[in-house]
Amino acid sequence: MMDKNPEFVLRTLALAMMIAAPLAVQAKSHEADHVTVELISEHTALVPGQSMQIGLLLRHEPHWHTYWINPGDSGLPTTLDFTLPQGFKTQDIAWPLPKRFDVGGLYNFGYEGETLLPVAIEVPADARPGTSVQIAVVAKWLVCREECIPGKASLALDLPIVAAPAKPDQRWTAQFARARLEQPQATAWKSEAHIAGDRITIALSGPGLPDTKGLDAFVEERKLVDNKPPQIRRDGDALVVEAAKSEYFGTSPATFDLVVTAPSAAGIRGWRVRVPLLDGSAGASAPAR
Amino acid sequence: MKPRLMMLAAALTLLAAPAFAKPVVGQAAPDFSVTDASGKTQSLSAYKGKTVVLEWNNPECPFVRKHYGAGNMQKQQVEAASEGVVWLTVNSGAAGKQGHLDASEAKAYVAKVGGKESAYLLDADGKVGHAYDAKTTPHMYVIDKDGTLRYMGGIDSIASTDVDDIPKATQYVRQALSELASGKTVSVTTSEPYGCSVKYGS
Repeated sequence: MMDKNPEFVLRTLALAMMIAAPLAVQAKSHEADHVTVELISEHTALVPGQSMQIGLLLRHEPHWHTYWINPGDSGLPTTLDFTLPQGFKTQDIAWPLPKRFDVGGLYNFGYEGETLLPVAIEVPADARPGTSVQIAVVAKWLVCREECIPGKASLALDLPIVAAPAKPDQRWTAQFARARLEQPQATAWKSEAHIAGDRITIALSGPGLPDTKGLDAFVEERKLVDNKPPQIRRDGDALVVEAAKSEYFGTSPATFDLVVTAPSAAGIRGWRVRVPLLDGSAGASAPAR
Repeated sequence: MKPRLMMLAAALTLLAAPAFAKPVVGQAAPDFSVTDASGKTQSLSAYKGKTVVLEWNNPECPFVRKHYGAGNMQKQQVEAASEGVVWLTVNSGAAGKQGHLDASEAKAYVAKVGGKESAYLLDADGKVGHAYDAKTTPHMYVIDKDGTLRYMGGIDSIASTDVDDIPKATQYVRQALSELASGKTVSVTTSEPYGCSVKYGS
């Protein structure tokens, strides 16, 4: 019977191989429901004392997406929980510019297609060239089309330590280059936000403000603005972003982070601004807290 | 204004609530009339004098499965029933969308998960969902004996699909119900709901 069922044989073999596989060397890419994830490094090795780039590469099936740090009306941001050798440190995910998804009148923020969530890893100065280390991560995500499926993978990456310079890993050069383009850029814009009733109005001014065509704007913090697309307009030299206050708005933060995105030849570009929030409802004469 | 006039004015305000206004904590919860899985018409006004919980449901949503799989939702339904609280589970999934149930499917689902709600409401046209601005499954509402909305938001305080988070989270609905039962002010009246988007029709 078994020879009539090659799939069964293959599965059994695969299972046996998985069990037998040494702990350290795992299949690098993990195929989950509707998304394939992989832990990758920009370089083929790590260099003592340097901050280097690794990241979670997500390849979504068409129409499926995962989420930004603020997922919007539903969803969950992807989380990465690293297990690192002694002395190594990782920074938070450097979230790429999000896209807005309209899911039947509700709005989500996230990623589709291929996306790299980059993470800086700081290699301790006393890491010894000639040795190798394992970077392990438990990645959790929610992948949605309209329906959603939670996913989880334990991934690991073995990397040698070398004296500088490390070679770029040719397999991932394009992905890391694109991830840099998809990072929100720092700006010298002046910004200020006001709350009036149930509206929050953000005014941006300064050099290099983009044209309003195709612009979108996102607030990193949850529960601040409503998740519908904001109104974006020019007011003289200023760019004004106006959104409804979130119905879950609690206390006013002193500042919040605004990400503005614009279409570009390369797909998308964008900027990040830390915006001071002047809460009119707290009284105009109140000093900045 | 004399007290009696004030009451009249308040009553008129309630009556004048516009049809598609968003629900506001501290104000009258929107009334509705909708058929349940047993073919009975259910309305909020019929439960005047009782505390009512509304729970938005989609059987296939992982966040819903988290709370039903762990028995958290059923347990809270049982607790609520023992306190005389009416628990209405609402499915606003449109026909053809994930999680949409017809009457017999809804009955089978409730039996399968051991649901202890008072009724399972079939809101495929999304009228009740839109009236409450329900965004996620689950999305929870607590309405007091006078028909005033006292809580809206998540079932609990930890947004995840992990069952392990349930014991660590503050269960907002349970908390609101126990505060209402002991005549206290509800301490957390609003939270951001978390879950799958409600699968409304277009």
